Amino acid sequence: MSYENKIMQLKKMLGSKKEKVKEEPAFKKPPKPFYIKDWENFGLSVVENDFGVVFKRVVTYQLNYKHGFYELGEFFHSIEKWENSKLEHPFSLSFDEEILFFDTETTGLKGVGTQIFLIGLLEARDDCFTLTQYVLADPSNEAALLFESRFWEKPKTIVTYNGKSFDWPQLESRWTLHRKHLPKLKTHKQVDLLHSSKRIWKNNLEKLKLTIVEEEKLGFKRQGDIPGFLAPIIYADAVKSGHIETLMKVLYHNEWDLLSLITLYIHSTNILVDSIIDEAATTITNVGKWYGDLKHTSESEQFLRTVTENFDEQEASLAYFFLAIEQKRKGEFEESVSSFKKSLTNLSLKKQLKAYEQIAIVYEHQFKKFDIALEYALQGIQLIEKATCIDPTQKMKLIERWEKRIQRLENKNIS
Amino acid sequence: MQLNKKKSVDEIVQSWKNDPDMKQNILHIETLEAKPAQYAPFPEQLHPSIKKALIDRGIGQLYTHQRQAYDYATSGQSFTAVTPTASGKSLCYHLPVLQQILQDPSSRAIYLFPTKALAQDQKTDLNNLIESMEEEIFSYTYDGDTAPAIRQKIRKAGHIVMTNPDMLHSGILPHHTKWVSLFENLKYIVIDELHTYKGVFGSHVAHVIRRLKRICQFYGSDPIFICTSATILNPKELAEKLTNTSHQLIADSGAPVGKKTFLFYNPPIVHPTFGVRRSSVLEVRDLTTKLHEAGIQTIVFAKSRVRVEMLVTYLKELTKKKIQDESIRGYRGGYLPSERRSIEKGLRDGTIQVVVSTNALELGVDIGQLQACVMTGYPGNIASAWQQAGRAGRRQDSALIIYVAGATALDQYVVNHPKYMLGSSPEEALINPENILILMEHLKCASFELPFSMTDTYGEFEVQELLAFLEEEGVLLKTSSNWHWMSDRFPAHEISLRSAAQENVVIIDWSIPGSTKVIGEMDTYSAMTLLHEEAIYLHQGVQYQVEKLDWEEKKAFVREVDVDYFTDANLAVELKVLSEDKTKSYQSAILGYGDVSLLAIPTIFKKIRFNTHENIGSGKIHIPPLEMHTNSTWLSFEMPENWSEDMLTDALTGAAYAIGSFVPLYIHCDRKDLSVVPQVKSIHNEKPTLFIYDSYPGGIGLSEKVYDILDSILEEAIQHVDTCPCENGCPSCIGAQDSLQNNKDKVIKILSLLLNEMK
Repeated sequence: MSYENKIMQLKKMLGSKKEKVKEEPAFKKPPKPFYIKDWENFGLSVVENDFGVVFKRVVTYQLNYKHGFYELGEFFHSIEKWENSKLEHPFSLSFDEEILFFDTETTGLKGVGTQIFLIGLLEARDDCFTLTQYVLADPSNEAALLFESRFWEKPKTIVTYNGKSFDWPQLESRWTLHRKHLPKLKTHKQVDLLHSSKRIWKNNLEKLKLTIVEEEKLGFKRQGDIPGFLAPIIYADAVKSGHIETLMKVLYHNEWDLLSLITLYIHSTNILVDSIIDEAATTITNVGKWYGDLKHTSESEQFLRTVTENFDEQEASLAYFFLAIEQKRKGEFEESVSSFKKSLTNLSLKKQLKAYEQIAIVYEHQFKKFDIALEYALQGIQLIEKATCIDPTQKMKLIERWEKRIQRLENKNIS
Repeated sequence: MQLNKKKSVDEIVQSWKNDPDMKQNILHIETLEAKPAQYAPFPEQLHPSIKKALIDRGIGQLYTHQRQAYDYATSGQSFTAVTPTASGKSLCYHLPVLQQILQDPSSRAIYLFPTKALAQDQKTDLNNLIESMEEEIFSYTYDGDTAPAIRQKIRKAGHIVMTNPDMLHSGILPHHTKWVSLFENLKYIVIDELHTYKGVFGSHVAHVIRRLKRICQFYGSDPIFICTSATILNPKELAEKLTNTSHQLIADSGAPVGKKTFLFYNPPIVHPTFGVRRSSVLEVRDLTTKLHEAGIQTIVFAKSRVRVEMLVTYLKELTKKKIQDESIRGYRGGYLPSERRSIEKGLRDGTIQVVVSTNALELGVDIGQLQACVMTGYPGNIASAWQQAGRAGRRQDSALIIYVAGATALDQYVVNHPKYMLGSSPEEALINPENILILMEHLKCASFELPFSMTDTYGEFEVQELLAFLEEEGVLLKTSSNWHWMSDRFPAHEISLRSAAQENVVIIDWSIPGSTKVIGEMDTYSAMTLLHEEAIYLHQGVQYQVEKLDWEEKKAFVREVDVDYFTDANLAVELKVLSEDKTKSYQSAILGYGDVSLLAIPTIFKKIRFNTHENIGSGKIHIPPLEMHTNSTWLSFEMPENWSEDMLTDALTGAAYAIGSFVPLYIHCDRKDLSVVPQVKSIHNEKPTLFIYDSYPGGIGLSEKVYDILDSILEEAIQHVDTCPCENGCPSCIGAQDSLQNNKDKVIKILSLLLNEMK
């Protein structure tokens, strides 16, 4: 029977109005699921609080535990490096903060129908790291899970991968549903390693999936991992059947995610604080650009120069470009023009145009060499005319703008 | 020749009365006298800054209906106000809402408009009012066009959120945790243009509102509903069914009405044997030309997009010699928003003199009032007729409404019985929230939004069995106390509120390589007959030929052409009975009602020459059939003795045509809401059968009404066909006839046979 036919059958069951009883909920503790014993046999413990039950899994790692290239203990060196650098950076952490690595698994991607079924928390202690995973016992025990996360206790620093736009808003949304019963959620500092990875590996890594970063940068390859998109089905199956075997794989998946957050932090700190040149030119350029955007100009220059000094002009193009902008801002016009010229070898069309424009501007307004300015302006307009990837109306506008400049330069050149 | 002979409406009516050629075609003139305004004072508690803003606008007192609205709202009573065009309906809701926000700034309101365009119009209007109040009240539109950057602000701080049902359905309700301050403090839900929420769309929206109320209850608010509606038979009932809340009705408008003159115009007979009248489109062209010459701003309504485009093409001849004259324009669904905005503006500032429209303009889009309205044929229902007529009539001026009858039976009936249009009550707007297909879809959305408990109901429905079914389907998980959504699907994205065939076909002009552009869009059902390959598609009077139709991707590629014909396509329909809910047996006939499955198969198209309307070619349409489930009433009977199948086919086709024409008279619905289809050998019982079905998936309860009164409909149809002055059948009775066989007698015979069975 087709879906439609089936529900046509159900049509007969449509009852009509029934007087509704108004009851305002005092919290009623939900009953425990039937599979408690089975899940305990798989190494989960049961936590009971005022809101119901939640399953818990704890794993402890020694400081010399190695995950990919790095030992977890190196994380403390990373914090030290930031403290020593005295840099204000959105990515920096200090020993004063209570740091919590945080990752969730959910039953969907968006909307109120999406539930969090696994909260993974990884904390640094003095002599070890502790992973605590809370597993939703069943959807009616949700408040118990949320309460146990302790995000209501005190402000902490939460380190995530895409947590700013996914995990945290999801948690807030779930919290809202239980806001009448749960204590108020605290505001925590957020460090999102997806954001920093984007800044660092733009144009270097094509995709920023955590597993790809692990393999390409952190020296870690997962064995027997389940793909994240299967997690919702696996959880639904576990609570329907009571069988937890497959769900354990989701717990391991979450565990790897969290361990990689630590080593990713270590690795990224090395790139950001020590200027190591065994990274690709694009990566170091990205870091220089990031410092520039944060107005740490000397760090920015230092990184960009690392590129221009250690790589050929082809690879250093972009570094020259950013350097040139910085130099022009500081009034170092000779240096700026020279950097812009060197940058021209390997830039995107948009940046190339900007370089030509800037060179023309400096020659016109600073050096008063109108003939040279004109030369560069003409090269710029040729570039526009040849370009195939600009939309026609945009092209018209650009040409119009450049023609004005050329007209003016020609006039100045004659007089 | 004298140019620029400007005339007033009254002058032109007088001159036509004295013109012998015109006089014979005008069957009836009716004048409705002007009605003065009825006022009431401002309410005493009305906030001074609102008073000030009203006085600034020259409003020193309220119309009676506005005052009544304020009194109901502030006493906590949901209500529905029936408000004709230009009666100041928006103050019916602005006043109580603004007053509430001024008294308690944490208060929130949702304004629901059927389209984005209407929300935009109202936002401008409301913001002007707020500005002159000099108060901090934030009102925003929230729809697909809202920039992500300000969405956050709207959620947290918007006092008045103006949106449409679609956005509420998929953009707000499934994310209600982001709207806590709205739902906790929601005091008013305003539903403007209530009458548009009918049929399937209305049934969907009824559920969206039930879901909205469920969420309000979760957050502890209990908002008051304010609805405004055009004239329909059952505004209170519709509002109550839509919102599942009891309403008071404000039926009398205190706004003044100008004098209105109605002309009932029947095109002359040009071929007496076949009863063929001159084309109503050509008559409208000539009448509009006269109005245009007299300098009277006119709106012309045509029933189909094709007719709109034909009329625009014809009328643009008037201004061909003037350069860049944009004073004659088309307006219909399928134009892009920017194009529509510029037309609306042109109408308001007078640069556009004539606009030709489909019923897109029946909605309250703000175009100001025009002086004359020409209806090309009966729009299908009385409510629409009054809506269209309401477009003409500035407050002080006299307005002219001309009804030009087409050849169809209903058109002819109306022109011969002016009382029908002027005197009878308007249609009912029906919705059917019990439609099980629609209900199930929204039950999924509701489960997604908040889990149901084992004792919960949903709106007025008992749903525990249905929830159990959803658990079997694997989207819900039953725990000890609740049904929880347990799927990574996002159910709101799986339903569109607007139609069964949800996706629109995008129309792409690829005349110029390298600069292809989208020129419009069309719903799938219409696209089957209007955008098939080789179809001539008209857009703003320009002809395009469809060169390629990518049905999978829902794209039609068109090229501008210049040809002297248009195309007209046929749909074949096959019906299967799924379940019989009711049956009545007669001696040799069976009347049934129940669920049916319908297969629509586009077959062939014809090329028809302009002006002469002769058939100059045809071709096959290659589009896969479209399936739909709906409700139907059917009448099966035995093949009459000595009849061949061919004879029966012809007779039944004619009978279906005649019945279809009169169903709207009895059911008070739109002509297109119900379809009548004959099957010479029906699949379910192999007997000749007439099906009368709801033209919407899942059905909206119309054909069920037909089940009870089919005999009266048959009687009326027989009488009409019998008294029609034609000899062998014509478009006014049994439809156009190809051959000279005496079909008319056969149709009467078969109809009488059926009627006798039922007596």
